[in-house]
Amino acid sequence: MILGYVLSGLVTGAIFAIMGSGLTLSYAATGVFNFAHGALGFLSALLFYELTTAAGLPAWLSALVSVGLFAPALGYVLHKAMFRGLAQAGETAQIVATIGLTIALPALGLLVVDLAGLPAADATALPRGVGPHPAVAFDVAGVHLDTDQLITFAFSVVAAVGLWAFMRHTPYGLRMRASVDRRRLATLRGIDADATSALAWMLGSGLAGLAGVLAVSVLGLDATAYTVLLFASATAAVFGRLRSIPWTFAAGLALGVVQNLVAGYTDFLEEVTGLRTAVPVILLFAGLVLLNRSRERVAGSAAEDTPPPDHLAGLPPWRRRLPWAVGLVLLVGFTFLAPEYYVGIAAQGLVLALIFCSFVVVTGIGGMVNLAQAAFASMAALTCGWAFTSGLPFFVAILLGVLAAAAVGMLVALPALRLGGRVLTLATLALALLADQVLFQVDAFSNGTIGWALPALGFGFADTSDPRVLVVVLLVLIGVVALLVRNLERSASGRAILAVRSAPAAATTSGLSAPRTKIMLFVLASAIAGLGGVLFAVAKGSITATDLPAFAGFVWLAIVVLQGVRRIGGAVLGGLIAVVVPELLSTWDVSAHVGAILFGLGGMILAKHPDGVLTQMAELRHRRPPAPELDEPARTAKGALFRMEGVVAGYADSIVLHGVDLAVKPGEVVALLGANGAGKSTTCAAAAGDLPIIAGRILLDGEDVTAWPAHRRARAGILLAPEGRGVFPGLTVEENLRTWLPDPGPVYDRLPHLGERRGVLAGALSGGEQQLLTLAPALVRPPRVLIADEPSLGLAPLVVRQIFEVFAELRARGVALLLVEEKATEALAIADRVAFMRLGRVTWTGPRSEVDSERLAAAYLGVR
Amino acid sequence: MIVRRGMAVALTVALLATGCAAQQKGATQQEGAAVPGVTGTTIKVGGVLTKTSASGYSTKDAEIGAKARFERANAEGGVHGRKIEFLGAEDDGQDAAKGDAAAKKLVQKDQVFALVPVHAPNFGGAAFLEQQGVPWFGWATGPQWCGTKTGFGYNGCLAPKQGAGSQTWWGRQMADLLGGAEGKSVYVQTSDSSGSKYGGTTISQSFTAAGFKLAGVNSGLPAAAPPPDWLPYVDKIMTSNGGKAPDVVVSVIAGTKFNVGLYSALKRAGYKGVLTDATSYDAAILKDPASAQALEGVIAAPMFEPFESTAPEIAQLKQDVEKVAPGTVLTQHLAIGYWAADIFLDMLDKTGKDLTREKFLATGNGSYTYENAGFGRIQYPKDHSEPNGCGALVKLENGAFQVAKSMKCFDNVPLK
Repeated sequence: MILGYVLSGLVTGAIFAIMGSGLTLSYAATGVFNFAHGALGFLSALLFYELTTAAGLPAWLSALVSVGLFAPALGYVLHKAMFRGLAQAGETAQIVATIGLTIALPALGLLVVDLAGLPAADATALPRGVGPHPAVAFDVAGVHLDTDQLITFAFSVVAAVGLWAFMRHTPYGLRMRASVDRRRLATLRGIDADATSALAWMLGSGLAGLAGVLAVSVLGLDATAYTVLLFASATAAVFGRLRSIPWTFAAGLALGVVQNLVAGYTDFLEEVTGLRTAVPVILLFAGLVLLNRSRERVAGSAAEDTPPPDHLAGLPPWRRRLPWAVGLVLLVGFTFLAPEYYVGIAAQGLVLALIFCSFVVVTGIGGMVNLAQAAFASMAALTCGWAFTSGLPFFVAILLGVLAAAAVGMLVALPALRLGGRVLTLATLALALLADQVLFQVDAFSNGTIGWALPALGFGFADTSDPRVLVVVLLVLIGVVALLVRNLERSASGRAILAVRSAPAAATTSGLSAPRTKIMLFVLASAIAGLGGVLFAVAKGSITATDLPAFAGFVWLAIVVLQGVRRIGGAVLGGLIAVVVPELLSTWDVSAHVGAILFGLGGMILAKHPDGVLTQMAELRHRRPPAPELDEPARTAKGALFRMEGVVAGYADSIVLHGVDLAVKPGEVVALLGANGAGKSTTCAAAAGDLPIIAGRILLDGEDVTAWPAHRRARAGILLAPEGRGVFPGLTVEENLRTWLPDPGPVYDRLPHLGERRGVLAGALSGGEQQLLTLAPALVRPPRVLIADEPSLGLAPLVVRQIFEVFAELRARGVALLLVEEKATEALAIADRVAFMRLGRVTWTGPRSEVDSERLAAAYLGVR
Repeated sequence: MIVRRGMAVALTVALLATGCAAQQKGATQQEGAAVPGVTGTTIKVGGVLTKTSASGYSTKDAEIGAKARFERANAEGGVHGRKIEFLGAEDDGQDAAKGDAAAKKLVQKDQVFALVPVHAPNFGGAAFLEQQGVPWFGWATGPQWCGTKTGFGYNGCLAPKQGAGSQTWWGRQMADLLGGAEGKSVYVQTSDSSGSKYGGTTISQSFTAAGFKLAGVNSGLPAAAPPPDWLPYVDKIMTSNGGKAPDVVVSVIAGTKFNVGLYSALKRAGYKGVLTDATSYDAAILKDPASAQALEGVIAAPMFEPFESTAPEIAQLKQDVEKVAPGTVLTQHLAIGYWAADIFLDMLDKTGKDLTREKFLATGNGSYTYENAGFGRIQYPKDHSEPNGCGALVKLENGAFQVAKSMKCFDNVPLK
């Protein structure tokens, strides 16, 4: 029997594998983890269904159209409209935007079906699959299978082989892998990262579509089932470390088998409701904790999430608070004048607002994305209900509920110490699902489906069964939380938090405890969410395990982030919007799908304005004029092939180059020298197009290339060998060469040593070999301009000599060379002209012959 | 700053405007009637249904059923001179919080007298309605209905507590159909959620009370989505009866697609016994050849008189529905809406001309009995805490449903 479980488990696993590889592919190539991957599958399946039923097309043709045309086209459109912008936005915006899509895409599909009068997608029925309908059954080695299963398995094999061939043996695949390996370097090699991303999205979306169409005959047209499928596939992707497609594929297949074995052999687990269903989620959590320690960032900090500029900084404090004060007065007025029903709605909004405040703490201040907030709220409310029913006084029960949420927050925060970034987010997702599927299914805790009844909160003279009282109570509580947040930001611990967020390593070395800070934030946020949860239950009069489902937590996060997650105002506005919009839609009798679609549009806006609506409003009104441009640069040497004129460039909050002028002629070596921090590497990045410049011009052979992106400049002949090694460590020597050369043969003739190691991963080469590999392609296909940033850094003298021989040869062949070095000796030996840099300016340029030790010392020490 | 203030002002104006509008509405309703929703000539009611849901489950047909029954009452001159003003039903999206909001909207904003029909598996408005003393009628599938004074399930409370009465009709009707339960074994398949497990307990008990031998109860099926692979579950069933297949398999899993998946897999594995469930009596299934093939031979267990029956009450139902919505396909949810409305009307009638919510509830909760071939018999307050114990069986044969056993009521046994 075990053979049967394994065989048919592989079929199930094939769907996980296909969907998981699409997820891994798009994440690895673009850095965006697409929660909407399941929704893409659902839409393709929906189209497949409509094509077979409404249009009457044969199943194979419908599948081809859905998977081969529609899904990739959808991927492309989403790339253009959203994902492209998201790649630059912070992690929070990425997560929220794709969650928005998860809700919006199925709604859009269903709305179109509704409006066009097509056959309704009945999620409770099972539509036909790609194969014969009804499916034909047959036996393989004593296992009963049907044609749909066979087709699924066959397609997964085809997809796996096709994907492997595409990635390994086509230039597109090579470019994509190069982009995955080192995205910046890839653009410097002339690979259009944008086009590669578009391709990755099309391919990823195609795979989602394939999985979707194959799964429709077992899942039905049920958007939720597709989201569940996504979570299982995410487990596979996590076991592929979100990088390796083959491992993801294998993990997907294995997951199918494991699910079957668990279903077949673990009857002893039956007592614990939901535990066996939750196996993929448990594996997801285990995989995250064991395999996916984030390499780039530590402890969930999102350094790239720099706070937006404060557009209102110039206004006096009373002026900044005025709109909120007016809003508060109006709300209170509304509370005592409006009919009970509308006050109830406002109270509901404020309950949500209170829960939303927890996002301000954990995400807005702490920079961590938490998807389990609904679980915390539920936890607190259920604990409170249980405690109250057990006979404890109500206020003690409330306290107990809030403490329970805080305790769970502590438990979540502990693994969070080890995990960073998206891994932490996925871990909170796993916990949220686990709470829903297992913890809240424990009857003793949640009292089955009936839940616990809770009384109104009494104050002697009034109680919260009157929504007016409830509104006032909530306003007071939100005010307290707002004060707390303000003090947090301004206190010593607040500064510690911000320090941990923007530079964890620096914070640690300054003696701040990142773990303790993070635990504190998480616990505080959980307690706030818990308090909100208890009030939710009090407002409703009861709480059940299904009142605050895990998915609600995702939607909440999205609503808050859309308004702006850094301020309590955003949370309050978010809470009110969350209740007012559905109310208005139902009053105007608009399809609920429209609300969901609006929500998805919010995600698209977020891709452009990651800091939310409030910041956007403030910016529109109060944006300060940009920094004044610097004075026109002076013209330098004549006949230069490559020229930088008055280049001003820098990073988000600091300008590094204050007007750099440089020129390099063909067949000339210009050595750019300067002390550490002079701006040499920034100059290189600006020259190659890796860093956009604020002012000035960059010319190639008289043509203005300032606006060209890096890959276009590279194609035009400007090659940057970046600091460190310019190789793709995850690609073989041969593949590294192919990113620049169609045929690497001549390189092996010149450097037989590399030829011997052509199949070795570049990451496994020695430093010297890597530097040779970086420059070798230039020998075969010389660029017009070669910019080498610290080419001798960390290399043995013998290797350094070899490298400089390469430069000499390139100069002889007419390449314009710009050598950037901190250590002057070798560079001076080869240079024709020398430029000294200091504090973002070129302080001296002249022929090599005019450089003596005095001038060198002056340049480095900053004395003229 | 102007933009932000502008926004705040706009928001406030919008809020005030809606507020005023509703206040005016409220005021007009208050005129001439101290009882919410009741005037000299009308009684206002509205329902809460799960019209849409993420899983696709929809009870929206109950709206047509209720409307059809109310239209007939109105055509006959109403109840004690008052016609039913049916506002239609709100959608709770199978979300407890939305259900609560919908109940509040109907009571506070629309000022209805009672909620008819309420047919939403996850209904979240129970606590509010009980606290406000607003009567609500529908299908009492969840424990939120049970033990209340205001929630009237058309066939009683289907989620009795331990010790309260639990149904035996399914097992006994099945035993009658199969010519006795002697020596026959039954296997109950539920999904991995506390609600479904509970169903497994009551239904197992129904069959053992009728004399069947319980071969096994399994609750391993994932609750959220059908398992992509049925093999492990089917294996267990096929060997549950001492290595052989059981005589009867009862499926307590929600939704046609689960049943289609399970039954197809069972048939593929060579199962020849009886398949039975509570949800397959659905004409929509017959449209799809694969589903119809999978469900062929299934014995469905509706809790109302089947539409194929020759009872005059059913002919009346068809006639009423045809008047409001010609060509409507009759479904389980439609019948539930219809019978819930029917009981509400009967209770109104018995309350008399002088109508308040208190008087209405006093009638309903004071030894109320009403018999009808459509749903059997209902007795309140007893049926606030246990099911009415009535049900029918329908068999899908050659692609069409046929009445296997007409509606019949049996005694309940205490739930273990």
